Amino acid sequence: MIGRSISDWWANRPLATKGLVVVAVPLLIFLGSVAALYTVSRMESRAEQDVRLTIAIQNDVNEVHALLAEASSGVRGYLLTGEPRFLEPYHRAEKLVPQVTQRLKGSVRDFEAAAHLSRIEALASQKREGLAILLDARQRTGADIVGAPAIADGLAANKQVLDALRGEIEGMQERERELLAARQGRLNQVRFNGLVVTGLLTLAGLVGSLFAVFLFSSGIVRRVQRLERDAVLLAQGEALPEREAGRDEIGLLAVRMTEASALLRAREQALREGEERFRLVIEGVRDYGIFALDPDGYVVSWNTGAERIKGWSSHEILGRHFSTFYPGDDARERSMHNLADAVRDGRTEDEGWRIRKDGTLFWANVVITALRDEAGELRGFSKVTRDITERRRAQEALETARHEAEQASTAKSLFLSRMSHELRTPLNAILGFAQLLELDHAGSSKADKASISQILRAGRHLLGLIDEVLDIARIEAGKLGLDIAPVSIGAAVAEAVGLSLPEADSNGITIRSDVDKHSPVAADRRRLMQVLLNLLSNAIKYNRRGGEVSIKAGVVRGRMRVEFTDTGIGVDPEQVGDLFQPFTRLPAGAARTDGTGLGLSLSRALVEAMGGAIGYTPRADGREGACFWFELPLTAETGIPEPMPARAALSTHSVQRRLTILLIEDNLANAQLIEAVAARHWPEAHVVNAMQASLGLDLALRQQPDLVLLDLHLPDKDGDWVLEQLSKTYPDLPVVLLTADALAAQTDWVSRGATAVLTKPIDVPSLLESVDTALREHTR
Amino acid sequence: MIAPRSAANVRILAIDDEPANLALIKALLLREGYTHLETLTDPRQAAERHLAFAPDLVLLDLMMPSIDGYALLDSLGRLTGKDDLVPIMVLTADTSIEAKRRALALGARDIVTKPFDVFEFALRVANLIDLRLMFARAREVSQPG
Repeated sequence: MIGRSISDWWANRPLATKGLVVVAVPLLIFLGSVAALYTVSRMESRAEQDVRLTIAIQNDVNEVHALLAEASSGVRGYLLTGEPRFLEPYHRAEKLVPQVTQRLKGSVRDFEAAAHLSRIEALASQKREGLAILLDARQRTGADIVGAPAIADGLAANKQVLDALRGEIEGMQERERELLAARQGRLNQVRFNGLVVTGLLTLAGLVGSLFAVFLFSSGIVRRVQRLERDAVLLAQGEALPEREAGRDEIGLLAVRMTEASALLRAREQALREGEERFRLVIEGVRDYGIFALDPDGYVVSWNTGAERIKGWSSHEILGRHFSTFYPGDDARERSMHNLADAVRDGRTEDEGWRIRKDGTLFWANVVITALRDEAGELRGFSKVTRDITERRRAQEALETARHEAEQASTAKSLFLSRMSHELRTPLNAILGFAQLLELDHAGSSKADKASISQILRAGRHLLGLIDEVLDIARIEAGKLGLDIAPVSIGAAVAEAVGLSLPEADSNGITIRSDVDKHSPVAADRRRLMQVLLNLLSNAIKYNRRGGEVSIKAGVVRGRMRVEFTDTGIGVDPEQVGDLFQPFTRLPAGAARTDGTGLGLSLSRALVEAMGGAIGYTPRADGREGACFWFELPLTAETGIPEPMPARAALSTHSVQRRLTILLIEDNLANAQLIEAVAARHWPEAHVVNAMQASLGLDLALRQQPDLVLLDLHLPDKDGDWVLEQLSKTYPDLPVVLLTADALAAQTDWVSRGATAVLTKPIDVPSLLESVDTALREHTR
Repeated sequence: MIAPRSAANVRILAIDDEPANLALIKALLLREGYTHLETLTDPRQAAERHLAFAPDLVLLDLMMPSIDGYALLDSLGRLTGKDDLVPIMVLTADTSIEAKRRALALGARDIVTKPFDVFEFALRVANLIDLRLMFARAREVSQPG
């Protein structure tokens, strides 16, 4: 239990701690050994020193004794002989004994020995005093001292002192010997202990090292080895066993590896499931043949759809080249061509005939996609094939039907056109001869005249029919050729009213037009007139005698709406639906109806062809009568300005001098445009056109124009030269230049005599402005 | 009578594949006093007859089988020298603007759509004859002898 908890504790230490422990254990043991050895050697040396000191003390004690003994002998010799040389030991003792005694005092530490020493010192001083007394006595008594009692006493006393001293010295030496023996014993003890300690420490070091190795092995090496084995398992994709891992770095690494292994397995599982699902989806697709090719075009996978479409089963087709699906001798080339396209563009789509296993053909839509790995290396192709034979058949049928319809339509148009033509030709003879009859038989009977008149009327009616049938045929064939331009609705209505006035007058109908200037509409002027005349004619014909037709115009929902309201009997609600159908004739009103029955249907076709609408509403005010309306798109363009009212032009014609404009321009279209503009804007103007420079100069002389419009690019001469001639000959004549060359337009023509320069295509408002300005300044 | 006074000597060539129309034209022209008339229903002989007859006016139907009327118009126009003027009046049942423009561009002096009004027809013929005669007179003045 405890061992387990310790091993857990150890396992949970960080690697740094473990390393420290592993290194520190032997190191501490080593340091302990060194300290122990040092201590033992210190103790040993101190014991040795004690022994040496004891020996020295013994020597010193012996020396004191020896010195005193010699001094005593010397004194005795001197006493006996009186020779001073015997005194030498005495003097030496006098000098040395205090020194030695003093040295002993410093070295002795034992109490007992110290007691002996103090007694020895006292005895030594007593001895030396005794000797000194003897010497003193000798010197006083002279040579004969032996017989002197004082000396004898002194000698005896000295002898006693010396004996006591000897006893003390012996006692002390005895003590020192004891001490020596004791210290010697302690020294031996210390040396033995040192040996034991050294041995123990060596053992401890050994054990410690083994322990460290064990720790290293159990705490690190074995676990790292286990990790390594786990890593191998991980690399093989095996699951890692759950293990107690500890919380140090290795343990954490093991935990992470286990987690990584789990994650890896989960991903692998998901991937496998995904792939499986994907494979099942692809294989299960029945409507699309989906399969893969290797880079050379050999089939490497196959799905149900491919099997269904192409008839090959998976095991039959795998490994075969996909050119098998292409019919014809050049199957290989065509298939490889498709692959090459896919390699080049990444993807290629193709439609064409493909062949099934049973040899039947089907029309396929094929998409080939090049498959590349991350490095961009071609790994093969995916091919998606659809069998669109049915669709193609349907398309073909549709195409055929459309083509047939077109052909039928064209044939119909052609037929109608031919018919009209073929009808016109005999009509020419009929009407022509009828007219001749009418002329030549002016005086014949009434009945004859009526008959001729009937022929003419019927012939003209037939002619009207033919014209309208031809128009309808053209519209249906899309060959009407509309010339859409901005048209002023006010001017067009006024013109139509003017043309219808005779018919209205003969029927006693009043026309009220409430249409004035309005934004221009985008329309073909001629066709718009046709519609206006038709609606007006209807409104007159289906009116009551003495009735009224009112025309109104206004902008409704961004379109120009024109309404024709009459005072006739209106339209039977049941017939409204058929109004715009061909050959629908309404009950006659005031006038005898001699219409073709095609008018409204033609009007509708024309208005619709111009992007407008046409319709019928009962009168808004509830009174009897019909209201026909049409709408046309407005245009933002400003059209050609409204021509001056014809009467005003006529009235001023005679008063104003006739304006002559000389146009030197070789382009017929431009000349026509300028003439048209001039005709509308300056009705009094006479435009003379010269296509060549020489003729232009000629006409300038003859016609004396008020203004010259000069194109700079003429076939015979340079416009530059013409300008020079004109400005030289007629300095006051305004010359407006026309050029298609934008660069040329930048030249300073005004300084060369030109009044203004206009670039082509000619902008009508600026042409008008330039000409008006030039004329104003010229006439001033 | 719209025809000019010198109409009696005027030579008119009329080409139309429809005999009834040709008869009408002939009747109208005779009524106007033109007597030197040549009518032709086969357009393939047109050039040959034009050269042989040397007309002062040509009346040409544009819509004929077996030949392109425009091509014929063009080739007849070329038969006349640059210093001469022989007007060609086109008769056509094609009322389209394109047809008119095309014919005029190819040198037709006038166009009448069929069926035509007899007065209008006579007037246009008279105008063209006037043009022809005035041109001839002008040429005589400028090139005496």
